[in-house]
Amino acid sequence: MADLDCDVVVLGAGPGGYSAAFRAADLGLTTVLVERYPTLGGVCLNVGCIPSKALLHTAAVMDAARALGAHGISFGEPKIDLDKLRAFKEKVVGKLTGGLAAMAKMRKVAVVQGVGMFAGANQLAVGGKDKGTVRFKSAIIAAGSQSAKLPFLPEDPRIVDSTGALELKGAADKLLIIGGGIIGLEMGTVYSTLGARLDVVEMMDGLMLGADRDLVAVWQKFNAKRFDRVMLKSKTTKAEATKAGIRVSFEGQDAQTYDLVLVSVGRVPNGKKIGADKAGVKVDERGFIPTDSQMRTNVPHIYAIGDIAGNPMLAHKAVHEAHVAAEAAAGRKSHFDARVVPSVAYTDPEIAWVGLTEEEAKKAGTRIGVAKFPWSASGRAIANARDEGFTKLIFDADSHRLLGGGIVGTGAGDLISELALAVEMGADATDIGKTIHPHPTVSESIGMAAELFEGVCTDLPPQRKK
Amino acid sequence: MKQVNVPDIGDFKDVEVIEVLVKAGDTIAAEQSLITVESDKATMEIPAPGAGVVREVRIKVGDKVSQGTPILVLDEADAGATAKEAPAPAPAPEKAKAAPASESAKPAPAPAAESAGPMTVNVPDIGDFKDVAVIEVLVKPGDSVAPEQSLITVESDKATMEIPSPAAGTVRELKLKVGDKVSQGSAILVMDATGAAPVLPAQAKPAAEPAAASEVSAPPRPPVPKEPLEALHAKPHASPSVRKFARELGVDLTRVTGSGPKGRIAHTDVQAFVKSALSAVPAAAAAAKGGALPFNLPAWPEVDFAKFGPVEARPLTRLQRLSGPNLHRNWVSIPHVTQFDEADITDLEAFRKANTAETEKQGFKLTMLAFLVKACVTALRQHPNLNASLDRGGESLILKKYYNIGVAVDTPDGLVVPVVRDADRKGVFDVARELGEISKLARDKKLKPGDMQGGTFSISSLGGIGGSAFTPIINAPEVAILGVSRSVLRPVWNGKEFAPRLMLPLSLSYDHRIIDGAAAARFTTYLASVLADIRRSLL
Repeated sequence: MADLDCDVVVLGAGPGGYSAAFRAADLGLTTVLVERYPTLGGVCLNVGCIPSKALLHTAAVMDAARALGAHGISFGEPKIDLDKLRAFKEKVVGKLTGGLAAMAKMRKVAVVQGVGMFAGANQLAVGGKDKGTVRFKSAIIAAGSQSAKLPFLPEDPRIVDSTGALELKGAADKLLIIGGGIIGLEMGTVYSTLGARLDVVEMMDGLMLGADRDLVAVWQKFNAKRFDRVMLKSKTTKAEATKAGIRVSFEGQDAQTYDLVLVSVGRVPNGKKIGADKAGVKVDERGFIPTDSQMRTNVPHIYAIGDIAGNPMLAHKAVHEAHVAAEAAAGRKSHFDARVVPSVAYTDPEIAWVGLTEEEAKKAGTRIGVAKFPWSASGRAIANARDEGFTKLIFDADSHRLLGGGIVGTGAGDLISELALAVEMGADATDIGKTIHPHPTVSESIGMAAELFEGVCTDLPPQRKK
Repeated sequence: MKQVNVPDIGDFKDVEVIEVLVKAGDTIAAEQSLITVESDKATMEIPAPGAGVVREVRIKVGDKVSQGTPILVLDEADAGATAKEAPAPAPAPEKAKAAPASESAKPAPAPAAESAGPMTVNVPDIGDFKDVAVIEVLVKPGDSVAPEQSLITVESDKATMEIPSPAAGTVRELKLKVGDKVSQGSAILVMDATGAAPVLPAQAKPAAEPAAASEVSAPPRPPVPKEPLEALHAKPHASPSVRKFARELGVDLTRVTGSGPKGRIAHTDVQAFVKSALSAVPAAAAAAKGGALPFNLPAWPEVDFAKFGPVEARPLTRLQRLSGPNLHRNWVSIPHVTQFDEADITDLEAFRKANTAETEKQGFKLTMLAFLVKACVTALRQHPNLNASLDRGGESLILKKYYNIGVAVDTPDGLVVPVVRDADRKGVFDVARELGEISKLARDKKLKPGDMQGGTFSISSLGGIGGSAFTPIINAPEVAILGVSRSVLRPVWNGKEFAPRLMLPLSLSYDHRIIDGAAAARFTTYLASVLADIRRSLL
């Protein structure tokens, strides 16, 4: 690669990086996108959100087919061809990354493959395939994060992180998930449906921390059959590779041999790997790069977005930050002032939540009112034979404005957007209740929960007068 | 006997030992944690490969280790022997080991084998300063520091100073951060002193709270980073598009009243707010001044410079940001008049040159500025009103019986004015030597606040650079400042003929509230006569 001069260089082509680069190009800036891997899309498209959903969808359909037995429809035992399943997943990824490459071309974004390291406040040195130097007026750091490792685990192909688990190297009969967060439990769902028995070990006293416990309890009850052991407040003390499998010891629990161990103990930002000091960019001790509301680092013409700019490490947060950074680099007065960032666990049932949680409200002493509409009162959920979920809205006790909410049930991740919109718009319970939701849908449960809060819901037994 | 080394700890090198959990003589069990190391990402404990008795610890807190670094020497126990109960150091939560949220998960401090104990380092006597801001923290937990090594930099309104470590040791915990205000006695940090006896025992640090270390594998809670959720219900009732519009106009939405249902702020409300704010400004300015003259000025021109060509925004230096408002205040609030004059320094320059060899031997330069300081002192003695300040009520003049001459020094960061104290009691050589020293301190940013206080009169010399005259700004609460430009050799009529004379331009800015024009002219005339014949300063 010849040395390049540009208005904006974007380091990292994940959802944040490519969005920043495309937005910058759309605003008329000459843009260079530096990515170490040959495809665009980063962790999310290549080894994260998208391939895991391809597998989760497959698993959900398998489970649904199995459940049809209760409706008098029986299929035979599924025949699983892992190679074909893997090929399907790769096709999904290929379609999306190919689309990105095409869009980059249409926008005349120069994609440079290599590892970018800052060489100065206006220079990025690229090593690897396209060696060279990129001189820039502005830079947007979107270098993401990587799976955290547990140092005491041996090197063994049977010990994997989420990337390794997505490779579907083989079926497992006995899977241990270390770390009971969303990523681990999503992958656990896939392997379980494909035939594995699950153990999960978690240091803290609950799974999927961050979500309200009542949401998680529904998921946990529905999925109890997948698990042999749910070890909370437990510590993994040792793991050794044996012929029979990985023998793992726990504190206060019996040791067990697994044929696959999935390590999902969080992600570590890549802030310390990009030569930030050469550009004078401050990186905190954890590897995050602090920014202001325009996503500017301490060096005003260098921006940081996505995982590397702080929690929550979510693609949709990164994309919004990306647009802010690109617009600010183009001289616009854009700021990141979204009030809420939704979270979704794509387990079965799904758990989704946004804004204030009950737990947080309790801790902060916020005066709230909560309305919970059980899906057992939703015609559609009953018809779907999936009425275990509920929809919970959390309102400000005085103004009745929506502060947050949580949904557990099939498709919860697709329902949560309405709550996010309501929070951003400052909608109150009446606004939501008076918005006509189509019948019969599970989305109705949101309108009904709002009516419940206002005491005007007629799909539940009469409420006691408030 | 067996040497225990650091095992394969993954992709880590030179990680720092933050805790040593065992000491010589301890009986340890297999898998018992020996040390805790911390990389930039995580802390981890290194377990014992087998049971035994520790013979010798080869590592201490602060050491950097990699795979293969010896940790300790172990007398291995028989296979059957049971180790005595572990001393149970609070183990780092497993999650936190890898999670970025590791600071809350640092293990409780366990007795470090070789440290002399924790001590709290406080801010020492820093002179007459209170509540000075910390502008830099130069060490972090885990750092080894030497005695006299700078720990933090604090800044008063006049100067910055670095606060040195009183002893050698390892920083355990910082007690302050950039932006904090400190005074004498404020705690800076806790360190494990090596060698030196502990001064004060640090307070016991609570053990890591596992609950606080909510890991990232569970999706972090979704608060928006810059704006805490708790305040969500207090946020203005405005949709994202209205918020974007307000950002573009720089409107603070908390000050806008919404006209929509339930007080919702609409685009039109933001527009109305801006209109009323613009029309209110001149009226408010006039009202605020009461009977005084209103500064009813048009708004500062807003120009998008980048429209006309490439620009670069360079932040003002700290010094500029501090001195700017002071200069502005002085310039606006003191009625300045500047008196220009010239002094014939032909003889003085010859005298100075004749003596430079002598001072250079002594290691300093004999500058014209040194003579100027002395000459000003002589002139000030004759004109005490210029060595004075107005009292705060503006009722009386405080005449000063001491002569501290401030000298403006140009540094890369901006202007500073260190003071030559008691210049009346110092010889020209002493003054010259001192000027050399303070200029160097100024350029090295080593001036202490005291070095810039107590001036009674200032000199700003641009003689080394050029120019024929200028109008210096008075360094309040002083009442006059002498500007000196470059001397020039000029033909001067001596009554019979034009003779070449070396003339030094003087520009005296004075506070016209105290000094009238005649007094100023008398001062510069007298000063010029002293410079023309320095012997006058003896009279």
